[in-house]
Amino acid sequence: MISSRMKKQCKKLRASLVKKTIGKLSSTLWLQNHIAACPRCRMRIARVARVDFALTLLKSQPHSSDLPARANISAINVLKHSLRESPKADKLRQIESAGAWRQKCGAHIIPLAKTAACLAVILIIKLGVLSSMDNFCKQGSSAVEHYYARHLGQEYADEIFSA
Amino acid sequence: MSTSAANIRLCLDLAFTQSVDESRRWILSAMDRHGPGMVTMLWRILGNEHDVCDAYQQTFLNLAHYQQAGKVRPKNVQAYVFRTAANTAISILRRKQRRRQHLDTMAETKPLQQDVEPCDDLDAKLLQDKLRAAIAKLPNYLRDVVVLRDLAELSYEQVSNILGISAATARVYRSKAITLLAAIMAARSKVTE
Repeated sequence: MISSRMKKQCKKLRASLVKKTIGKLSSTLWLQNHIAACPRCRMRIARVARVDFALTLLKSQPHSSDLPARANISAINVLKHSLRESPKADKLRQIESAGAWRQKCGAHIIPLAKTAACLAVILIIKLGVLSSMDNFCKQGSSAVEHYYARHLGQEYADEIFSA
Repeated sequence: MSTSAANIRLCLDLAFTQSVDESRRWILSAMDRHGPGMVTMLWRILGNEHDVCDAYQQTFLNLAHYQQAGKVRPKNVQAYVFRTAANTAISILRRKQRRRQHLDTMAETKPLQQDVEPCDDLDAKLLQDKLRAAIAKLPNYLRDVVVLRDLAELSYEQVSNILGISAATARVYRSKAITLLAAIMAARSKVTE
């Protein structure tokens, strides 16, 4: 026997499923408890999740890079002669998809990005080391100057270090 | 005298043909503008490159022969090409399904995949085929929204423009379609079980 509260929660979940996608459903405590207790809602969510998953799979399958060009060629071939021979038709026959461009450049982009990252790391290390060295030299010379000024007097120290 | 008249007629015919062809240049512009999106949508509906080329060709052939109320160009070219392409693709999909069913009946064999296990969902091809079959079974008004929104990845505003409905209605139709797809896919699984 399903309680009226349970029925209300079922209705609420159904409404949420209509408004939002599975991924955007809020994971509130009542929802979690309800899903754990209600086999029908569990099944409902599982079914919708399956459709979402299948849609994601469909979207993730890329077509071959020359498909747009082949489709254009087949479509242009059935048009009138003057349209087939126009410069725009030639351009359309040689069109390449964005994916093809990415595929072509992908091979070069990744090694280039890696090299750039290595160079950046080397530059940062070099800058860091140089600035530390500079800092160390300055602090050292000021310590020595301070030592001379304390033991020999400021006048001598200025004379030595200004030379 | 007759030769010059023939020449003049030829020139006039040529000029007329040229002007007609000039007026048809927008077809190539439409192909340039909407072609890549259409190819992606068709690929997702059909999953077969040969069928994609066929549906694409058929769409532009229809567009080239468009003649309605004395106009040679549809009011909303994007709407026309996307809807025609989707309808053509669904027709191809249904035809293929019918042929497959017919072949199954002829051979008096059942599909190899008889038991539906949870691990079937891991078989991407099988799941995609199930989804395609389920999409083909949807009522037209729901199917159009799913195809344009999920497969062509158009915004709700674009979908509403193409279908001539409000964006809110498109959202409602999309949710209804997903619920119905879930039910159809579940029913198919039970039938094959």
